[in-house]
Amino acid sequence: MKAFFALVHREFIEHRGAFLIAPLVLVVVVFALTLLAFSVDRLDTRMTGQLSFVVPNWAFEAGFAGLAGGWLAYLGFVLFFYCADGFAADKRNNAMLFWKSMPVTDFKVLLSKIVAALTILPGSVFGVALISLLILFGVTYVTATIAGPGTPELLGTIVGIYGQMAWVFLVVLVCGLLWYLPYMALVGAMGSAVGRWAIPLALLLPTVLSALEWVTLGGIHPFDTHTWHYLTYRSTLPVSEAHLDRVFEGQEPFNSALFVTDFLQKFDWLQVGIGAVFALVVLYLAAEYRRRAPAN
Amino acid sequence: MSELSVSSEPIVSARGLSKSFGRKQILHSLDFDIPPGRIYGLIGHNGAGKTTTLNAMLGLTSYEGTIRVLGEDPFAKRAKLMENVAFISDVASLPRFLRVRELFALLTNIHPNFSPDKARQFLEGTDIKPEMKIRTLSKGMIAQLHLAVVMAIDAKLLVLDEPTLGLDITYRKRFYRRLLEDYMTEERTLIITTHQVDEIEFMLSDIMFIRDGELILHMQMETVSEKFTQLVANEPEAQAAARAFNPVYEETRFGQTVFIFDGVERDKLEPLGRLSTPTISDLFVALMQRPTANPETAR
Repeated sequence: MKAFFALVHREFIEHRGAFLIAPLVLVVVVFALTLLAFSVDRLDTRMTGQLSFVVPNWAFEAGFAGLAGGWLAYLGFVLFFYCADGFAADKRNNAMLFWKSMPVTDFKVLLSKIVAALTILPGSVFGVALISLLILFGVTYVTATIAGPGTPELLGTIVGIYGQMAWVFLVVLVCGLLWYLPYMALVGAMGSAVGRWAIPLALLLPTVLSALEWVTLGGIHPFDTHTWHYLTYRSTLPVSEAHLDRVFEGQEPFNSALFVTDFLQKFDWLQVGIGAVFALVVLYLAAEYRRRAPAN
Repeated sequence: MSELSVSSEPIVSARGLSKSFGRKQILHSLDFDIPPGRIYGLIGHNGAGKTTTLNAMLGLTSYEGTIRVLGEDPFAKRAKLMENVAFISDVASLPRFLRVRELFALLTNIHPNFSPDKARQFLEGTDIKPEMKIRTLSKGMIAQLHLAVVMAIDAKLLVLDEPTLGLDITYRKRFYRRLLEDYMTEERTLIITTHQVDEIEFMLSDIMFIRDGELILHMQMETVSEKFTQLVANEPEAQAAARAFNPVYEETRFGQTVFIFDGVERDKLEPLGRLSTPTISDLFVALMQRPTANPETAR
């Protein structure tokens, strides 16, 4: 296991630019812009005006959800490119022969890449996202304190909201990673074989499969087949919206425990299991390809 | 062709080793054994099949026939085999995104027989520092680092495929001296390929010549000096007499005619001119001649 963890660590070192340094730079830039905006009195009056009449809980929850959603989008983007490019990085970097001289199987190398994509790499973005949210809440609280409404009670409320929302963020992130695991494995496996061409292929493959079903089994058009409907379902994270709808309609306050329980209960765990098996199979096939492909 | 007296279990054993890429056959049923504690030079033209043979030994390519390295099938058990086999197939293959200390830390966890202390020791006296990124190192420094890495692996077999390609003469000399002085022991076996055969001749215990995928010579260096003789003859009569002994090679250089003989007693050649043992490069030229300079059209 020591060797496996070292391989996962290697992935982090190789790709920390996209998963740690770039997000940190983004946070620093946005924070610097925020400070600049405050220093020239561009933000303080508007914030004060809104904070004087909106419900603070809703504002903080929405702010957290919005920023966390942005980070999830960023993560999805960089993970897609990581899988398409990172799985072929050893060959592209001309380092394949070096890694082949190590006592680790090709399957273990590829498995370490997908495990990195599920753990340390998104974990790194998650950590930076929490820091950015902490800064957001901190700046908002300081602004509120300067403007008037900031009280110790508000600070306690903010801390509570931060903790609850961070928990929700983590659950959604983990479930999202598990849900999209087969896609990551498929793109990674294709990347192992064809390198960066996996990017257009990943977009083309669903259309080809659906068209194949339409040609062989019939249907109204290539985008109205069982394959297409299944892929559409499998591409959308199944979020339980019952509680969220009531929150948006103002019927009840956001309750993280209720949301998480409802989310986990209605999550399609069977599909997650099928996806995990699919991921292992395509990784095994990619490892066999990598084992046989010329290393030099 | 083999004249080895195998005293113990061979480190590498090949029987009927063949390899084809599509319709083109690269290796033609090679049979050889490599005993432990030897330094082998695998020598051949570009495209002769050296790298393919090494790749088969290292489990980097599939093959027909049988090959066993340390008793294992390398293609099926590459990962396990690499615990006791180290190789450099390309000095530019070190992961360039790592720092030197990160490389050592990773290898400490990945390779059970890697010693970071030894690696650091091998780098003493060089300009390579732990904080340096590999991508910032010069080609020579990368070669030094790669050699330090493989020498810090307690392996039974070390395979070097053109390890000094593109390096200047100073680095090359230092590379081989380091290898011989700091790494080689009686328990270790070294297989090396290079085009600069003269530079490694002093360290070889055995040579294998490979031509068009066939092993045309596999011999201990001591046997080479017993079996092959080089004669330099100036007089036309002596040259004619030398030709009667069927030389394997004849060349005129600066007005002198050089012959190389295989298995002809030195006593018979002595009266004809100056005798010596051919260098590996002379022997290489003598035995590896092709009908044309272009190997593709010669087939």
